[in-house]
Amino acid sequence: MKTLIAVAVTAALALPAQAQQTPAPSWQQGKPAAQSESTLHPFAPHMTGRSAKDLPVSSLKVPAGFKVEVWAEGIPEARSMALGDKGTLFVSNRNAKNVYAVLSSGGKREVKTVLTGQDSPNGIVFRKGTLYVAERGKITRYDGIEGKLDSPGPGKVVIENLDPHRAAGHFWKYLAMGPDGKLYFNIGAPGNIVLPSYMEASIMRVDPNKGTLETVAIGVRNSVGMDFDPKTKDLWFTNHARDWLGDDSPNDTLHRVAAKSPVPHFGYPFCHQGNTLDPEYGKNRSCGEFAKPSQLLGTHIAPLGMKFYNGKMFPAEYQGNIFIAMHGSWNRTVKQGYNVMRVKVDENGKASKPMPFLTGFMTDEKADPPMWGRPVDILVMRDGSMLVSDDYNGIIYRVSYAAPAGKKK
Amino acid sequence: MRRTGNATALAVAFFFSAAAFAADPNLCAACHGENGNSANPAVPSLAQQPAQFIATSLFMFREGNRKDDQMTPMAKPLKNPEMNELAAYFSKQKAAAPSHKSKPESVEAGAGLAKKYNCSQCHGPRMLGQQHIPRIAGQQYEYLRTQLRAFKAQTRADIDGNMTAAIQAVPVQDLETLADYLAGLGGE
Repeated sequence: MKTLIAVAVTAALALPAQAQQTPAPSWQQGKPAAQSESTLHPFAPHMTGRSAKDLPVSSLKVPAGFKVEVWAEGIPEARSMALGDKGTLFVSNRNAKNVYAVLSSGGKREVKTVLTGQDSPNGIVFRKGTLYVAERGKITRYDGIEGKLDSPGPGKVVIENLDPHRAAGHFWKYLAMGPDGKLYFNIGAPGNIVLPSYMEASIMRVDPNKGTLETVAIGVRNSVGMDFDPKTKDLWFTNHARDWLGDDSPNDTLHRVAAKSPVPHFGYPFCHQGNTLDPEYGKNRSCGEFAKPSQLLGTHIAPLGMKFYNGKMFPAEYQGNIFIAMHGSWNRTVKQGYNVMRVKVDENGKASKPMPFLTGFMTDEKADPPMWGRPVDILVMRDGSMLVSDDYNGIIYRVSYAAPAGKKK
Repeated sequence: MRRTGNATALAVAFFFSAAAFAADPNLCAACHGENGNSANPAVPSLAQQPAQFIATSLFMFREGNRKDDQMTPMAKPLKNPEMNELAAYFSKQKAAAPSHKSKPESVEAGAGLAKKYNCSQCHGPRMLGQQHIPRIAGQQYEYLRTQLRAFKAQTRADIDGNMTAAIQAVPVQDLETLADYLAGLGGE
């Protein structure tokens, strides 16, 4: 009885505090009451990695003539990839704090941890002897790093204060080097569906020599993959749409920003996929005021790294295609993604519907978890083969092509 | 029931000593109890925890995300495959019935709070955990209290920040009820 009274008293005292509800976790924010008992939850990678020999790697599928194999393993939470001038493959982390170097010699691969203690160093890109690393709050350059992998030093900061609030949200970064020599990256939205503040929900670029920041696009919820069309120099990027509007809405998207374009607004948080007003923020707005995506990629499919293919190995049909790593859905009762898809781009810059390229990571679309691996980033090697990273297991796969005997590709 | 558990443990222990792994589960048992069933209210049980959760916890201790005077030095020398071996071993041990007796008033209130604050969304309808998310049914009482308070204070790391974020909506007195409820909750 005494306990009951105590509980009642504390509860009464706590009422004002409860009245001003603390915000929901960023991934749950925006979840309607109707879905309050949903058992959908985000997946987390196996941080200690898993060995390829314990996984159904032989169930991976690629089109006829292509081959997929394990290229390297033992790279915990392998996220973004960047290729050094001397052939070092750099691999980043998002939840963990390292950047790794994978060295190849005689068909064997050695994994070395080169940077530690980083704050979500998801974005990495290599250009002319320098590795650039984008953490949550800053971008650092490591000049001549391939010559000093054992002691790369502290690097030089290109820009900082990119994450002043230090709060939860989509603030890990993807990093790409533009044809203009500037570093392009995302600053995501602070929650699932919220009004972003200054600099949030955007694509930005910075001149690595001057440190000058410019806005490239706004109304972008979270992009974790971008590349430049080698012919037109246009920027293309993938974007994750909001969650909790059901299994089939809205689509994750592929976007294009023409070189020298004025800054487009792609609609977040008011309008999704170019044609769907947000039930809350879209009231009294029109999708007509926003720039449209180039292609719808699938709902909750989670497009991450993307690359234009211009290697000399794959057949003509694949030349100039955009390959996209689909990390796979969690906010969907029937799962989709967990594959690599390709999109064809015509001479007018129109993108085709996505077509599956590398599949077999998903084993049961209704299971929890539905998959044994999750593609994150794509990198085209100098011989034209393609690497695909998998953060769920810490494995990198290689896709290659050999024309059938007697047939030219 | 208990006898079967011990027999399995003996067989597994024999297998492990024969294979001479660097990561010896017997070292863990000194604090975490026989077969990973802790008898110390401040030390968590490992038996029947999801393997991915155990491996992730060891990883976070070694990498410094989680800090503990006992666990940090234990995790320091372990390599990833050794963490995976320990995780696989303890995930296969049978969890003992909880020794904690929840207050009668905590049972109904706790079940309501677990629903209200979406605990079951990740920990599962019976709080048995899955993937990187721990089993909390029948976990040691003092351990649960300490962890819940630390998540609330944002001093206890979790791999994706989801638990830290989820708990911010939970008032401290509800954390007490939840800990009392969960510690006495039988798994099966």
